[in-house]
Amino acid sequence: MKKTLALLLALCMSLSLAACGGGSAPAPAAPAGDAEPDEPNVAASYGAMAICLASEPDSIDPALNSAVDGATLIIHLFSGLAKWAETPDGALTIAPDAAEELTEGVANDDGTVTYTYTLREGLQWSDGQPVTAADFAFSWNRAASVELAADYGYMFEVVKGYDEIWEADADGNPVNPDAKLAVEALDERTLQVTLSNDVPYWNELLAFPAYMPVREDAVADESWATKPETFVCNGPYVIESWAHDSLITMAKNPNYIDADSVVMEKLEFYLSDDSNNMLSNFQNGSWQFIDDVPTNEIPTLKETYPEQFVVAGQIGTYYVCWNINEEILPASSGLTGVEAENAKAEIRNAIALLFDRNYIVDEISQAGQVPASSFVAMGMTEPDGSEFYKNAGHYDSFSGYYDVSADAIESNYNSAVETLKKYYAFDEASQTFTDFPTLTYLYNTSDAHKAIAEYLQSALAGIGITMNLENQEWKTFLNTRKNGDFSIARNGWVADYNDPICFLDMWTTASGNNDVQYGKGAHASVAAYSLDLTPYGYDIKVENGTWAETYDVLISTIKVCSDNDTRYQLMHVAEDLLMSTGCIAPLYFYTDLYMISDSVTGFYSNPLGFKYFMYCNVEAYG
Amino acid sequence: MNSKTLLYVVKRIGLAILTVWVVITITFFVMRAVPGGPFMGEKAITPAAQAALEAKYGLDKPLAEQYFTYLRDIVTRFDFGPSLKQRGRTVAEIIADGMKTSVKLGVVAAFIALAVGVVLGAVAALRRNSFLDRAVMVITTAFVSMPSFIMGSLLLVLFAVRLKILPANGTTADGLILPIVTLALYPMAYITRLTRSSMLDVLGQDYIRTARAKGVSGVKIIFGHALKNSLIPVITYFGPMLAYIVTGSLVVERIFSVPGIGRAFVQSITNRDYPMVMGTTIVLACLIVVMNLVSDILYKVVDPRINLE
Repeated sequence: MKKTLALLLALCMSLSLAACGGGSAPAPAAPAGDAEPDEPNVAASYGAMAICLASEPDSIDPALNSAVDGATLIIHLFSGLAKWAETPDGALTIAPDAAEELTEGVANDDGTVTYTYTLREGLQWSDGQPVTAADFAFSWNRAASVELAADYGYMFEVVKGYDEIWEADADGNPVNPDAKLAVEALDERTLQVTLSNDVPYWNELLAFPAYMPVREDAVADESWATKPETFVCNGPYVIESWAHDSLITMAKNPNYIDADSVVMEKLEFYLSDDSNNMLSNFQNGSWQFIDDVPTNEIPTLKETYPEQFVVAGQIGTYYVCWNINEEILPASSGLTGVEAENAKAEIRNAIALLFDRNYIVDEISQAGQVPASSFVAMGMTEPDGSEFYKNAGHYDSFSGYYDVSADAIESNYNSAVETLKKYYAFDEASQTFTDFPTLTYLYNTSDAHKAIAEYLQSALAGIGITMNLENQEWKTFLNTRKNGDFSIARNGWVADYNDPICFLDMWTTASGNNDVQYGKGAHASVAAYSLDLTPYGYDIKVENGTWAETYDVLISTIKVCSDNDTRYQLMHVAEDLLMSTGCIAPLYFYTDLYMISDSVTGFYSNPLGFKYFMYCNVEAYG
Repeated sequence: MNSKTLLYVVKRIGLAILTVWVVITITFFVMRAVPGGPFMGEKAITPAAQAALEAKYGLDKPLAEQYFTYLRDIVTRFDFGPSLKQRGRTVAEIIADGMKTSVKLGVVAAFIALAVGVVLGAVAALRRNSFLDRAVMVITTAFVSMPSFIMGSLLLVLFAVRLKILPANGTTADGLILPIVTLALYPMAYITRLTRSSMLDVLGQDYIRTARAKGVSGVKIIFGHALKNSLIPVITYFGPMLAYIVTGSLVVERIFSVPGIGRAFVQSITNRDYPMVMGTTIVLACLIVVMNLVSDILYKVVDPRINLE
């Protein structure tokens, strides 16, 4: 036993010596020459770029991914019928990719529209097999299938057949287990797809990851998309190696049809979600692109890295949502039914005026966000090219539903107080309301949300409204909010595609994202809404209808409307109706922050937050 | 090993299995009681898709049935099931990947801590009240009181951002140097202090005085008599420490972007990835139980007077 102990000690000693030695030995690869602050220590080799978007993606199977970082990985690995491309003048456009051209649809008698695409000649999978139209037909059916139950399966809802696939009986079992999408391979290179009705964003959908092709034999085993050796793709890159939770290395795909146009030889995607660590790696030159920065560093970074710290647009809105069934009228009001609902809407809209959105974006968030006065986010364009949010609302002096300019703060405040005085007791001496019921603001645990919550709390406290703050862990929060167990909550929405409908159809009664609880519970029977679509050529006119009779009908109408101009007008009507309830108080439009080394050229990103690195070049550090 | 010790070991293994089973049971039911599910996200999926996914992973079955199925799969096939979040990967694969890094990190850090700690502690005790002793005590006090996220951040800023001599991410071999040092400092300081006080205690014992009186050389007294006995508290500490250092390095993993098991564990809870939560809990529980057991047995080996009964 003594010998064993002696051995153990000897081992410890030698290890300790080794450790000491290791600690004092010169560390690897110190840079040659002067080490100036913030100058990268390792010259990035030509043709390789180190990037950090986020941690390990949940999936890089194009059908299963629902994350923006996953989408960026997928667009480097797959080639769909269309792609987002940058024109020489720097504008973004949807261009054909695997398709020879993005054809116009042919309207059928039943209102459906058929598109026929011809695939380019010579398309190959990364293993050399030809890419066929049947691969696309298979992939789309797979992505929309009940078996896969993908998060983004609903991206195919515009394709004829989708509704039949998902039609379920009372127990949730599919009624038509053999239903398929109306997509067919007419021959090796011809793909025909029929849409239930034409949608202006169809070409954009073709560039979306969910629409990218996979090959039936390659995806038979569900683990195919987790290992380089089984990963078959058809895009600019292939996966060379994948150390899970650590690093995905992509190398140029020689079988990609446009391989000659791909500039960057290798992409290294480091997998980390710690923004402090990302910043350290960016600052020491190890990584040339990071997709997140620590919130509290934003002001410093803006000054220190004016060129490399980028604030890009993102189609999304940060907002406060009310539970429509929350009782906020004082017990003494005596209002019921429609009158009560209208009063509540007026009160909620008044409260939305009390928030200084400029203060939130300038002093709290500090990331270049834009104060929001409408729900449909900045970045959505109308058929005439103008911005949807600028045409929202009905005011001449400002766009949207409130004036969110800095000089309107006082008038907004006065207007809000005047409105609230109609319903609540106001103490002139202290300038506060005395009988406003106590509210509870629910948000998910995060310093950024907390800071905003505290501001909102103080804004309301100024006029005597007590709002307690409650934070919950992410999934608990989602559950609580979805179930409507809140009075007022933090919320946010980012678009899946460039069409306002993705902001509007989430508020139909049956939508899973209807956190406000429109048309649910007591609100189901509240007949307080009016809808008149006769000016738009529809025989729909409802006075004092319920949410289901008005908003739900309006959204259904928009979804089958084939005239684009009318469609956009109807979407404005929908947003008007939505905002009239006061249940949604937009605070700001999101921005996408990232840092990119000034040694990188040829980079672009799209409004959905996808980043394109294939045409990048990293210049050697001098 | 005599029969009494053997019996003790067998009993302890039985107890360990019982402990792990209790942990499995509590975790299984508590996790299911927590609000929110694995398929819930900012953007809601349709009820039909939710139902399809629940059916696919057997989450539509009664909870008791799911529990027994889970236990059966673990016992009979050692099958931890698929991850609900990372589609296409099994829990076993994810744990194996995470453990590879965590074990490497933890074991190296633990042995560095042990080796440096024992040597420094012994030296400090032998040179009691000298400048060296005081210096060691001051430094170790600092290391013991400084939380790893501060130590880690300091090292990161100094060596990776300012001096740029080590990478800031733990994806490469040299990237593990900083996380290992960060992880090792606290236990190293603790072991130093433990060894020092224990060694001082032993050096004051009668048998050491007797040995000195009989003319035994200083080196022999230290290595032959004092060190061995003064290591008993270190051994008690070392087993659980190794387990915690391997499993509890979440903070260090985050700071240095090290792909370890700690990060996977926390993420799995946030994601409500039930099989992943279960798998990591079981592995971590086993590790802690085993290390405690090893520590107790070593205890007996070092000091035969200790009665394991």
